[in-house]
Amino acid sequence: MGPHGSLVSVVAVGLSDYLPILLMAVLAIVFAVASLGASALLRPRRPNRPKLSAYESGNDPVRLPGGERFSVKFYVVAMLFIIFDIETIFLFPWAVTFRQLGLFGLIEMAIFIALVFVAYVYIWKKGGLDWSATPPELMDDEDSDEPAAAGEVSLGAR
Amino acid sequence: MTAQEYAFAVIAAVGSISAIAVVTARNVVHAALYLVVALLSVGATFLLLGAEFAGWVQILIYVGAIVILFLFGLMLTKAPIGRDTLDNTHRWVGLLVAAGVFAGLAFLIQDAFPLDAEPFEVFHGSTSVVGESMFRDFVLPFEAISFLLLAALIGAIVLARKDEGN
Amino acid sequence: MDWLDWLLLVARIVLVFFGLLISVLLYIWFERKVIADLQTRKGPMRAGPRGILVTLADGIKLFFKEGIVPTNADRRVYLLAPVLAMFPGFLAFSTIPFGTGTTLFGRKIPFQLVDLDIGILWVLAMTSIAVYGVVLAGWASGSNYPLLGAVRSTAQMISYEVAMGLSLVAVLMYSGHLSFSEIVAAQDRVWNVVPMFPAFVVYLICGIAETNRPPFDLAEAETELVAGFHTEYSGITFAMFFLGEYVSTVTVAAIGVTLFLGGWRGPAPDFLPALWPFLWFLLKVTLVIYLFVLIRGTLPRVRYDRLMAFGWKVLIPFGLVWVLITGAIVVLPAELELDRGTVLTWAAIALGATLLLSFLPIGRSQRREEVPR
Repeated sequence: MGPHGSLVSVVAVGLSDYLPILLMAVLAIVFAVASLGASALLRPRRPNRPKLSAYESGNDPVRLPGGERFSVKFYVVAMLFIIFDIETIFLFPWAVTFRQLGLFGLIEMAIFIALVFVAYVYIWKKGGLDWSATPPELMDDEDSDEPAAAGEVSLGAR
Repeated sequence: MTAQEYAFAVIAAVGSISAIAVVTARNVVHAALYLVVALLSVGATFLLLGAEFAGWVQILIYVGAIVILFLFGLMLTKAPIGRDTLDNTHRWVGLLVAAGVFAGLAFLIQDAFPLDAEPFEVFHGSTSVVGESMFRDFVLPFEAISFLLLAALIGAIVLARKDEGN
Repeated sequence: MDWLDWLLLVARIVLVFFGLLISVLLYIWFERKVIADLQTRKGPMRAGPRGILVTLADGIKLFFKEGIVPTNADRRVYLLAPVLAMFPGFLAFSTIPFGTGTTLFGRKIPFQLVDLDIGILWVLAMTSIAVYGVVLAGWASGSNYPLLGAVRSTAQMISYEVAMGLSLVAVLMYSGHLSFSEIVAAQDRVWNVVPMFPAFVVYLICGIAETNRPPFDLAEAETELVAGFHTEYSGITFAMFFLGEYVSTVTVAAIGVTLFLGGWRGPAPDFLPALWPFLWFLLKVTLVIYLFVLIRGTLPRVRYDRLMAFGWKVLIPFGLVWVLITGAIVVLPAELELDRGTVLTWAAIALGATLLLSFLPIGRSQRREEVPR
């Protein structure tokens, strides 16, 4: 085994942690597949065309109506999520060591959070966190309830 | 072979097959799912190496966030409902880029970890070890990351804005 | 490991799995009874004494119902999605200590399947995998309503995942460990809910939103988008979504108990030392679930734009500030030789200021939202 011996044992110890989880996953999947299979054997099977069509009054769904797309807001949320997820991930190793780092560590993290916060405030100001029709810079205070604005309601905001 | 090597063989096989499936799948959403499997096997490889934190971060960020962004992107642009397939004709460009990336990575990895190198000291990649080195020895890079995140956030919002202005 | 170890391991896993299943059966009955009580009805009464077997009857009914795979659906992904929706709850539960443990056949049996070093990260990873069940179900159905519902649910889940992560970080900072058994061990004097009360509130709100429970269930409510991402599902596949949602809720409650309410801790008499911690754990989980049911029974559904705004504009900044405040409370007294009282006062002031700031209409759009369309 040589120099690898200790490494292998450490790794084996680390991995054996996951054995119960693996077994649990196998059990859950076996349970799911077994119930799908059992149900497939037991249940009636009388398909017909209307029954198998999508739940949309008998029309075949092709695309979203009128070529409309999802609101781009969803995409923005997913991007914001990635950034904030990464930030949270950085907090984890910091949270278990910041007692040893003391004030230095606290200031370090405060700067980090503050910088991301700058971006956060920018997005807020730009309306990236608003789930309604038009971005704030495109409208005045008063025109909020006019039909022009209401007509632009994106799908996501409905 | 040790148990670890068996595990690695299985994980590597699953990862490679699903990586190939990513590019051969006819349906983009299926491709994204194969990508999830490939990324999970990368995370599992980290776990095999004893780097628990890195492994789970890999899964959290890539599987939990980035592929979700891909899926959102697919649904927002083309909304491929049902059996629609999406494909493009840039196969050769893709092949060229992939070969370039592979060559570069192979060179770098061979440079950093030659095959005849000494085995590493046992490194147990627990979270506190990562934290210690990140927040004590790599303070400046860490703070630089926040600038990167800042730029990414602003970039995201600018892209979305342009789209909405039209 | 010899055969007895294997046997015990498998027995534990099977017990936990079916224990969770039974707890879900009871939970659904309990929820229907409590809500019936709130509405002065009797609720389910027929199957079993006081209707306790109603969920079992429902499950068996769903078993025998025709399962429909729409023509337009992507068959494989369509069947994969409910499986993916079901198992993260079970996996996340396997790291939770639900008692101190006992000795059987001369072997120590911990009441916890695994004690992962990265316990909290594991939970976050499972919540992020749970998203796939939803997003794939919506896409694979091949219909517009499920797709819309899935995108909305997913956006909601990932938004609240961030705030949930922040509340978990606060707990982690306070107890200094990622593993659940260490976190429970660190709560021997005071439960985390006392110093970490704001994080607890954030956690509960996010937990409800993560599991798509009311009042954050609009993406799958019958009145909106004809039931959201699982519109096309029927029979056993629908039952699996249902099961997954309730298992996740039980797991969310169990994690909350472990992190904030002292886990299995509680006063115990001398006889049967293994039993009492387990009973305490059950009691606490039941209380948290009761809270969830009360919230469901009393609060109206939140509108989607307000839901997203609440997550991003209130919970996330609040979570970030609370992380820094926790850091200050832990680090500053030792560093600057301040007494804890001064630090706590400043912390309270900072907290109040953020709360006030979060109500300020930054950007004019907030006020505009109030205009009914």
